[in-house]
Amino acid sequence: MKPSRAGDPYWLLLPTLLLLFVFFVFPLVMLVEHSLFSWDLLTPARYVGLANYRSLLRSGELWQTFGTTLSMSTVVVLGSMTSGLLLALLLDRPGHWAAFVRSAVFSAYVVSWVSVGLLFLWLLDADSGILARIYSHFSQGRAPRWLADPALAPWAVAAVTIWKITGYALVIFLSGLQDVPVSVLEAAELDGATAMQRFRSVTWPLLRPTTLFVATTSLIASFQLFDVVRVMTQGGPVRATTVFVYAIYEQLFLDLRVGRASAEAVVFFGVLLLLTGAQFLLFRTQESA
Amino acid sequence: MRARRTATASTPRVQDMLARREFLRATAVAGSGLLGASCAVNAVPKGRTLVSLWFSYGGTNREVLEQLVDRFNRTQARDFVQAVYQGDYFEGLAKLRTAIAARCAPVLSHVVGEVVPYLAEAGVLEPLTDYPGLADLDLIPELGQQRSWLNGGTHPLYALPFNRSTPIAYLNAELFAQAGLEAPRTWDELRTVAKRLTEPKAGGRFGFGCPINWWFWVALVGQAGGAIVAPDGRIALGDGAGVAALELWQELVREGSLKPPPGRDYNAWEQCNQDFLSGRAAMIWSSTAFLKYLEAHARFKLLAAPLPAGVRRAVPTGGTFWIVLRSAPKPEKAAAARFLRFMHETQQVIDWSTRTGYIPVTHSAVRALEQRNYYGAHPNDRVALSQLSVAEPWPWSVDLFRIQREIVQPRLESAVIQQRDARALLVEARALAMEPT
Amino acid sequence: MKRAAGWHAILRRGALCAVALVWLFPYLWMGLTSLKPLTEIVSSPTALWPAQPTLAAYREVFRSLPLARYFFNTSVMALGIAGLQITLALPAGYALAKLRFRGKRVAFALIVATLLVPAQVRFVPVFSLLAKVGLVNTLSGLILPFGVSALGTFLIRQALLSVPDAQIEAARIDGAGELYIVYRLLAPLLRPTLISLFLFSFVSHWNDYFWPLVLTTDEHARTLPLAIALLREQGTGVRWHLVMAGNVLLSLPALAVFAAAQRHLLRAVTVRGFGG
Repeated sequence: MKPSRAGDPYWLLLPTLLLLFVFFVFPLVMLVEHSLFSWDLLTPARYVGLANYRSLLRSGELWQTFGTTLSMSTVVVLGSMTSGLLLALLLDRPGHWAAFVRSAVFSAYVVSWVSVGLLFLWLLDADSGILARIYSHFSQGRAPRWLADPALAPWAVAAVTIWKITGYALVIFLSGLQDVPVSVLEAAELDGATAMQRFRSVTWPLLRPTTLFVATTSLIASFQLFDVVRVMTQGGPVRATTVFVYAIYEQLFLDLRVGRASAEAVVFFGVLLLLTGAQFLLFRTQESA
Repeated sequence: MRARRTATASTPRVQDMLARREFLRATAVAGSGLLGASCAVNAVPKGRTLVSLWFSYGGTNREVLEQLVDRFNRTQARDFVQAVYQGDYFEGLAKLRTAIAARCAPVLSHVVGEVVPYLAEAGVLEPLTDYPGLADLDLIPELGQQRSWLNGGTHPLYALPFNRSTPIAYLNAELFAQAGLEAPRTWDELRTVAKRLTEPKAGGRFGFGCPINWWFWVALVGQAGGAIVAPDGRIALGDGAGVAALELWQELVREGSLKPPPGRDYNAWEQCNQDFLSGRAAMIWSSTAFLKYLEAHARFKLLAAPLPAGVRRAVPTGGTFWIVLRSAPKPEKAAAARFLRFMHETQQVIDWSTRTGYIPVTHSAVRALEQRNYYGAHPNDRVALSQLSVAEPWPWSVDLFRIQREIVQPRLESAVIQQRDARALLVEARALAMEPT
Repeated sequence: MKRAAGWHAILRRGALCAVALVWLFPYLWMGLTSLKPLTEIVSSPTALWPAQPTLAAYREVFRSLPLARYFFNTSVMALGIAGLQITLALPAGYALAKLRFRGKRVAFALIVATLLVPAQVRFVPVFSLLAKVGLVNTLSGLILPFGVSALGTFLIRQALLSVPDAQIEAARIDGAGELYIVYRLLAPLLRPTLISLFLFSFVSHWNDYFWPLVLTTDEHARTLPLAIALLREQGTGVRWHLVMAGNVLLSLPALAVFAAAQRHLLRAVTVRGFGG
């Protein structure tokens, strides 16, 4: 439709574009600029060129952070998708019980990360947490220190994350399952296919776009984990759970290194762009397939 | 045409909903606008100067501070101190620095000694020399600016001691008596005692618990004869003594007699205290700051003891200093100075110290306590005070805090928890410390 | 066949119970812990029911935190963000759905592209920008950076595409201005979408931790998740009963909204992406 007045669309979009410019475009430009300086917010900034990037690479921090984030995110995505799919299959039925359990699982998605973090901090407490006590009932010695052992902490945090976001995968898979035509499933059943076979040859292929969607959105979301790390482990022990966002936060607020934090944020943004680009490509090939 | 319009017009209920939503949004933005108008909008008794104080204690120490603040507010009508809790020392310091940068800083706060030179050189601290009464408090020099830093007296007065401490050892007196052992006075004795008191079975008791923390490492470095910063300004990190300190910890962990508590920063200290209270560690190193807390919660008799000697005895001092922020308006700074004078009066110093375990910071307070035989009745309180004779000053170095937090602390954890090579780590640390930021 | 069905049903019922347990027990435990005195928590951590249930933890939390203030801050912030997003997304979505103009595709791409730049990437410069204009530690500073909702704009545009042009043209002939069309004519038609967006945005920003952590320094603008998280940082022994009591207070609003408006929240979540 033609606008009533030629300038109308621009006025309608003005607030949005204004905020967009101030809070998205401008910061991105600033981010790149800051990354070329050394600045602690209290004293004047000093130009250092690419020194921040070099320092991040040389100290191995960047690789470590990237590795930690990637491994935790992979576990989180695979874990939540698996449990989400299994639960969707289990709960895709009418009835009050199923509806109640669906709500229970999804409710974890709705509360804040702080809630969940504090809750599991208590549950996983190696001394008086209930899981530790149950563990020591069934085996000798004391429970492993899930959050204090550098080898275990990332997986403990990943497990908590999976607990929280399974609800998301559940809901998406449920709506994906609705799209599977009942008639095809019934035909397969009449042909004598077992539940497993029905799943493998009918449901699973039809779920592929849904699966891709959940996988990529979960991956991008889990790359942005912060709250749960901050509340439960503060990036430790020994940086075992220092994921990207936490590393940037630490650089900026605890170490007051604006330049280095900005450099790390630029790298992080690049990683996100790559992941999102991969998502688009996958969808493109999916649609053309 | 008219019919069409009424057909598409919204029903009253939806109109209401829309109107309500717009109203809510308008209120929200208006409300936020009002609240956003300034950084500091407070409910202060009329006519008083507001002193915003940001502090970083929890638990009992917090209660005592709040009571002292309350006492100040009640006993005079000129000023009003509003104390805001900001998390632990590091979280609080982070917020303070960002608030300074955002021009939202409070008037008064307290910070660890290692960061004072940095803040002073950055020009954000108010010199206190000219405020009435602050330059001539009868402070114990090791606790005041004069001797807390090398040549501290040559700088303008920026920091006044608040909660000051030294590391001390806490012993489970019953376990020690049972084993016929005494507080270790040397590193060798420490090794032996720790081993003797360790029960090797799974889930058994450890002889020694110590947070793997910069502060205790610095103590060990001093005891091994080294210094963090060499007299010529070179960041030595103790050189050989630094390695020896780390290796002592590593050795004790390998032998199974040291339990490095989990968690970071003050979580680790807390965990260490819990280990001691529950009997999982027979002896721990912690701060005199926890003396009252531990005494109150221990179900056994506990003894405080000084730290052992390596080639000599040495301890750093700890705790925090009061600082006044230069960016605050003049009247508020003057009010803050009045509060600081109040906090250094003998009664307040005594109250603070005896209820928390921190060292009293003025001579008059110590004298008063001795007169009423406080230390006779509470010998544990004397330990930190006596250790002041071997207290080492910090270097007045702007990089000290950065070196502590970014470079050394993570490597300490790495060395002890992951048993990496101490010498290599410290060489790495020294190299990083020399890099310009 | 019947016996297999019987086993199936039992297994299924068992699985349902197990799942419900895994997802509900933590909350139950949280609530129970908040009702126990600290001594009981430390001495018998696995005891299910409190021997002496007490509300002391809640009283202490209310005493030591200005909770009303935090609730207010958080609500105003979440309402502000949700409201602002819808207010801006409506005209934007309308322009992108219904009007022809130059630069339309660029504008659309820009808005969608904001999804690529999460708060965690932007916060360093946004913080120093807000610091320069004195909006740190204010509710405006918490609201404004989230005023643009790509999801909202996209959904509204999507929904408006199916509104017949004729309706709008008729309103125009009647003399209606564009703003009237957007807010008085079209918004009511989009009610379900708007409700879902509003609720989803409200809940997720109510729960925000990162941005308020970065941007607030004291209780003038501090939000509830931050305040409750601070309960944890006490220094001399974690007081679990307090932390859990605070946690109950923190989780209740989100759970309440969820219980009341599940359908709407789910609708917002199941948006199947952009062409997916």
